Amino acid sequence: MVINDELSQAASAKADDMFQYNYWAHNSPSGKTPWAFITAAGYKYIYAGENLARGFTTTQSVIDAWMASPDHRANMLSSNYQDVGFAVKSGNLNGEDTVLIVEEFGNLYMPVAKNAPQEIAPAKSTVASVPAPAAPVPVVQKTVQAVSKNPLINTSTLSSNIYYVFILVFIFALFLDMIIIEKKKVMRFVGHNIDHILYLLLVLSLVGIWSKGVII
Amino acid sequence: MFNKILLRHNIYYLMLAVVFCLSFLLAYSSTDRIFQIGVIVATTLFYVLWGIMHHLLNHDLHLKIVVEYILIGGFGLAMIFFILSVNGNH
Repeated sequence: MVINDELSQAASAKADDMFQYNYWAHNSPSGKTPWAFITAAGYKYIYAGENLARGFTTTQSVIDAWMASPDHRANMLSSNYQDVGFAVKSGNLNGEDTVLIVEEFGNLYMPVAKNAPQEIAPAKSTVASVPAPAAPVPVVQKTVQAVSKNPLINTSTLSSNIYYVFILVFIFALFLDMIIIEKKKVMRFVGHNIDHILYLLLVLSLVGIWSKGVII
Repeated sequence: MFNKILLRHNIYYLMLAVVFCLSFLLAYSSTDRIFQIGVIVATTLFYVLWGIMHHLLNHDLHLKIVVEYILIGGFGLAMIFFILSVNGNH
């Protein structure tokens, strides 16, 4: 696949639209489809697709999530697409600061199936049976040369990790307290530590789920 | 020792665990943020009230126990809201 400016513009417009109209979906509340953004950017597609991600903190985690999802993986590996465009935008969605990642796929021409011998038959029959093949288009491969330097501290994951550790230490302290008090048979009027441990485990589970990004 | 505590209050703790599991499943399966927050707030309220009720039934309810449950409930909610505001996913 080749990075396409028009698809990147479409992805950017889609991300802006989601922030502007406060929605998280492939179709906008007014019924605008992803294809409308692609067409508006000037990309006259034959095939098009879209992957969305939200709330991820690293590139690798987005790729892993998309590759783990059959539908998103199919988009990324499909031979139907030859172009791709990305947009990564941060903003406020429904009152929450978040990062949206939009990936638009497209193909301007009818793809030729690699394993279909009838379509790569001799020139005469090809012309007769297959729609006129597109004239060879010079494809400009863009090479992105950038210096990638990971930050020493990822502030977004750091805050989540601090919370994990804090809750775990809290749970451990409550558990230890429960054991010591029971062992020494100390009488005191305090809440039940098992209640607190169960509640904190619920919080920990939800923090674990919600600190990861989601894809649609 | 741990089992003794569990056995003594097993029904109470079992109920609490069941409600927490249901709450987790509801919050996990939904993509509606308002609904998720509603579930968590309702679960926290249940945790506080259930804890107070348990102590009331055991005749060992004190003001500091009420404060303890409210503080831990508040701490849990604060943590959830902070994570949601930082990551802003779903």
